[in-house]
Amino acid sequence: MSNKRIRIDRFYQFMTYSAASIAVIILSMIIIFVISNGSGLLNFGLVVNDYHAKFYNGGIDNNITFSQTERPESLTSEIYYSEKWGIGLIEEENREGNTIISVEYIDIDSPLRNMRDKNNDNNSLSLSEGSIVSSIKFYDKNSALTIHGAEHMINELDTSDDFREIVYSSLGGGVRGSIITTLYIIGLTLLIALPIGIFTAIYINEFAKKNRVTSLIRSMIEVLTGVPSIIFGLMGLAVFVPLTVKYTQADSANLLSGSLTLAVILLPIIIRSTEESLKVVPDDFRTASLALGANHTQTTFKVVLPSALPGIMTATLLAIGRIIGESAALIFAIGTAIKDDISIFGKSTTLSVHIWSLMTDEPANIELASTIAIIILIIVLVLNLIVKLIAKRFTKNFG
Amino acid sequence: MENTVFTINNLNLYYDQFQALYGIDMKIKRNEVTALIGPSGCGKSTFLRCLNRMNDLIEGCNITGEVKFNEKDVYMNSYDVINLRTKVGMVFQKPNPFPMSIYDNIAYGPRCQGIKDKKVLDDIVKKSLTKAALYDEVQDRIKGSAMSLSGGQQQRLCIARAIAMEPEVILMDEPTSALDPIATLKIEELINDLKKNYTIIIVTHSMQQAARISDKTAFFLMGVLIENDSTNKIFTQPKNKKTEDYITGRFG
Ligand SMILES: Nc1ncnc2c1ncn2[C@@H]1O[C@H](COP(=O)(O)OP(=O)(O)OP(=O)(O)O)[C@@H](O)[C@H]1O
Ligand SMILES: [Mg+2]
Repeated sequence: MSNKRIRIDRFYQFMTYSAASIAVIILSMIIIFVISNGSGLLNFGLVVNDYHAKFYNGGIDNNITFSQTERPESLTSEIYYSEKWGIGLIEEENREGNTIISVEYIDIDSPLRNMRDKNNDNNSLSLSEGSIVSSIKFYDKNSALTIHGAEHMINELDTSDDFREIVYSSLGGGVRGSIITTLYIIGLTLLIALPIGIFTAIYINEFAKKNRVTSLIRSMIEVLTGVPSIIFGLMGLAVFVPLTVKYTQADSANLLSGSLTLAVILLPIIIRSTEESLKVVPDDFRTASLALGANHTQTTFKVVLPSALPGIMTATLLAIGRIIGESAALIFAIGTAIKDDISIFGKSTTLSVHIWSLMTDEPANIELASTIAIIILIIVLVLNLIVKLIAKRFTKNFG
Repeated sequence: MENTVFTINNLNLYYDQFQALYGIDMKIKRNEVTALIGPSGCGKSTFLRCLNRMNDLIEGCNITGEVKFNEKDVYMNSYDVINLRTKVGMVFQKPNPFPMSIYDNIAYGPRCQGIKDKKVLDDIVKKSLTKAALYDEVQDRIKGSAMSLSGGQQQRLCIARAIAMEPEVILMDEPTSALDPIATLKIEELINDLKKNYTIIIVTHSMQQAARISDKTAFFLMGVLIENDSTNKIFTQPKNKKTEDYITGRFG
């Protein structure tokens, strides 16, 4: 008898332990995969740079004062340096894996710091560290191109007193735009979905009479939670995109239509979890408040809602996670255009959709996708901490 | 002021089909402590809740008859329930402070009535805590959470919270049943103190408690008010056999 009990006991313990370890292993595998793939590209530039490289054509006026600076000792041996022009170039691989020549060092009095913009005469251009030089065109000889290498480019420069044009670009491939879009979308969506969701939950749980209508609303909410998000995406495309185009300055899918779509996806989740947290507020609080001569509204908003706040915070966290993770619906509702200048009424894409479009490119850029995944993880972590801190502040005053 | 606070005439109460109170007639005098006694399920709490209309919250609860508070029937359509509940406070069996600070708990009622002035609120909080014999124990942590108080302190806080509304009547539903003897004694002393200024109606299962603190005792059985008289009479020479059986512990 007792032997059997021990065996059953062991069996259940074994089951729970192994389930827990499988979960932990899977989770760490995902994180290890993402970090090992993506950490190589993770740097500050990626987070602050534009996605689309900007090209510049710089020329130079006749009276050149050359730099004539000795090679600084800090430059490593892979850097090719021109004393005359005060510039050090290096060959690198960009995020797409192609060879590029970038400016590693440029002297303060290099003439290349003060060039004329060939596309706009009133503008002056200054070559800066990190720029990518794609070609230097001369008057009297062939152009030096990327494929000839950095050494050739420096040699050609060193042996010339003048050049016609230097074509260079900023380093593209950054995800600043997508990060900003993601944050905008989180803010906008929560702004729309949280108040509506919370107030609906309050209405259903605290004010509405328990009758057929409320139970119908309840079951509708339950059904909506199970609808695949891509269907909401279609709804966004069919309803919110035309609506926003009609009533705002938007002329295509935009952040607002995306946020509205996400808000619809989140509503059932927020309503349900808010309801759950309202339900666990003890009735003692409600009766105590009413017995003190508070009315129903005061009871709800001064006692019940604050007690439910930790639960609502958890709902908010879930919602944020859902917003960051959503891609299917957003592909329709805001489009997949990766943008650098973000406007609420314009197209652009969130980090998740950014990953999606990187992976649908040929060839798929798993490395950059993994790097973005790391950034997403960091954002989720930070937002988690912020919400927890807010919740803690509230619960400190309240409990 | 009139000497009778509550006049109850032929009060019947139904929870759906089930009748919980049968034709109750009763008068409750000002500045007296009335104890309601009787076996479990006889309708003491139900009767108490009629006095501040807390039964309104229970679905399917129907009432006939009159409950007159200061000569006015509280079940009249036009009667202001909120006003009634500010005049008739209630303390529950289980201490139920809000999960807020001690200060906010007591200021809650006055704030709901629109009092915002901090000085006035400070004053109310201090006075109420003092009257509830709690001020000395908590004065240095008035902004601390009410949940960290002991059960007995929480119950006195609930009494202070009720006092803060300056009610005429305080209803107490077994206020000491969740407390130890010492905390119970403190509450009983407090009730003795409070009866100078308030009318108190208290439900209790302890005969000794009823004998110690009350002026009048009402004995309920199966939803019927069997006997209502001065406590002294009820405990020494009850008129009804059932009352005698109950207080001598022969049943219930
Ligand atoms: N909300 C309710 N719905 C239906 N019936 C109820 C409800 N509340 C109480 N009752 C019934 O009414 C009767 C009286 O209940 P009540 O709570 O007033 O008794 P009580 O005297 O306070 O008992 P106790 O001493 O155990 O607290 C009981 O039979 C009870 O089952
Ligand atoms: Mg009771």
